[in-house]
Amino acid sequence: MISRLAYTFRETWASFRRNMTLTVAAIITSAVSLLIFGLTLLMQRGFDNLLVKWEGGVEMIVFVGSNANDEQRAEITNALDAQKPNLIESYRYCDVECSLDEADRVLAGDPGVLELLTAENVPTQFKVVPTDATDVDTLRLLRESLREAPGVQNIALAVEELDTIAKLKGFVGLYTLILSIVLLIAAVLLIWNTIRTAMFARRREIEVMKLVGATDWFIRVPFMLEGLIHGLLGSLGACAGLWLVNNRWTAGVQDFPDNSGFEAMVVPGSFTGVVMLGLLGIGMLAGAIGSGIAASRFLDV
Amino acid sequence: MIRIENVTKTYGTDVVALRDASFDVPKGEFVFLVGPSGSGKSTLLRLLNRQDRPERGAVWVAGRNIIDMPSGRVPQLRRNIGNIFQDYKLLLNKTVAENVAFAQEVIGKPKHVIRQQVPAVLDLVGLAGKEDRFPHQLSGGEQQRVSVARAFVNRPLIMLADEPTGNLDPATGEGIMRLLDRINKTGTTVLMATHDQRIVNTMRKRVIQLDRGVIVRDQARGVYE
Repeated sequence: MISRLAYTFRETWASFRRNMTLTVAAIITSAVSLLIFGLTLLMQRGFDNLLVKWEGGVEMIVFVGSNANDEQRAEITNALDAQKPNLIESYRYCDVECSLDEADRVLAGDPGVLELLTAENVPTQFKVVPTDATDVDTLRLLRESLREAPGVQNIALAVEELDTIAKLKGFVGLYTLILSIVLLIAAVLLIWNTIRTAMFARRREIEVMKLVGATDWFIRVPFMLEGLIHGLLGSLGACAGLWLVNNRWTAGVQDFPDNSGFEAMVVPGSFTGVVMLGLLGIGMLAGAIGSGIAASRFLDV
Repeated sequence: MIRIENVTKTYGTDVVALRDASFDVPKGEFVFLVGPSGSGKSTLLRLLNRQDRPERGAVWVAGRNIIDMPSGRVPQLRRNIGNIFQDYKLLLNKTVAENVAFAQEVIGKPKHVIRQQVPAVLDLVGLAGKEDRFPHQLSGGEQQRVSVARAFVNRPLIMLADEPTGNLDPATGEGIMRLLDRINKTGTTVLMATHDQRIVNTMRKRVIQLDRGVIVRDQARGVYE
């Protein structure tokens, strides 16, 4: 068993050295494709952070000051109920806890402001889903009618802050995803070709191995391991790149002007960690697929 | 040990390599396969280690019909068969000892067994002291001896030799034949395809002659003709 393992690793390493140029090309391609894929996920998450408060068809948010009392909140509720179902389809109240949770995501890039927010001073929110989201004029009239209600701090309309971001998210998300998939396919093909070349270079050895009674799996495993390592090294490169980019971005956002909106585009470390694990998985899977197909197809060299 | 039953093998649609061939080889026999190029000698050897399969007929090796053997069992079959080729098929980046050890390594023989058996077989083929040389540092005859050592190190039941003296001068070829004869005397069945008239006539073993895929002669203690 140990001698077999030693043989497998020795052969894998020897093949690595023999095929250095192609190996490096395969690793770089998989690293770049996985990096772009990872960045796509982080960007999507950043946009989601920006849009989180508008989830579920919410088009208008009524921010209630932290000093508003129960009576004032009841008055706002009554005012909203009065518009159901003609103008307002539904609404929900986001209480102190819910508003603090949301702030954690929206203000991730601005820890200074986030630190100042407490259960005592965070504004709560009524999230309003209108009956007709396209009727912007009516929404504006509704805002005017609610603006003067006691306890209301501010009223935001999705149409005024959301449109560009939503479009940008769709555009950037789609094209980076397509690019990363195309590059990932290129990486799989490169790994496949590297393994094929490695097998061709060792065709005489493979022929001898088969003639003396080595099993197909014994012959295949070092090649498959090689592909797996290509994928793993590629994804490790991608993880390093992702960590670096995210790190620089998080640090850079601090220098942006206040209220630029970019503070929401910061992705916390835990999510980045999950993405990195995903990249490692995809990288190894791509390597295993590419080398597995090659090692099965070209065994009869 | 070997039984060929009504075997027909064609390549493509019209090249008939073997036509309705049948013969038996008992354990421990030495058989020459003779005939002109393209007569089907190499095809016969390829069928015996399941590198190829015939369209019709049966190929029995050590009591098993190997035609319908599942491919997962083929490696086990090949561990009982040693192969020697005209072009030696040595691995040029490995030393003499490594080439021989390779045949044991890839079937999972333990290191201590390899360390013990490789020098013994190299001694048997007359290569003691040349363990660390590379193939390009050896003469043709010595390279073929390495190939014989590699084929014999796992003590196969059968040895298939395809023109093993084809690239060697007569004296060196004779040395290889003496080696094969010694291996045969240990009980290993030997099938050897050859064009070498002198060797066949000197050794006076069983001769099976092929002509365009057909067995035209099967003679005990035969000559080349």
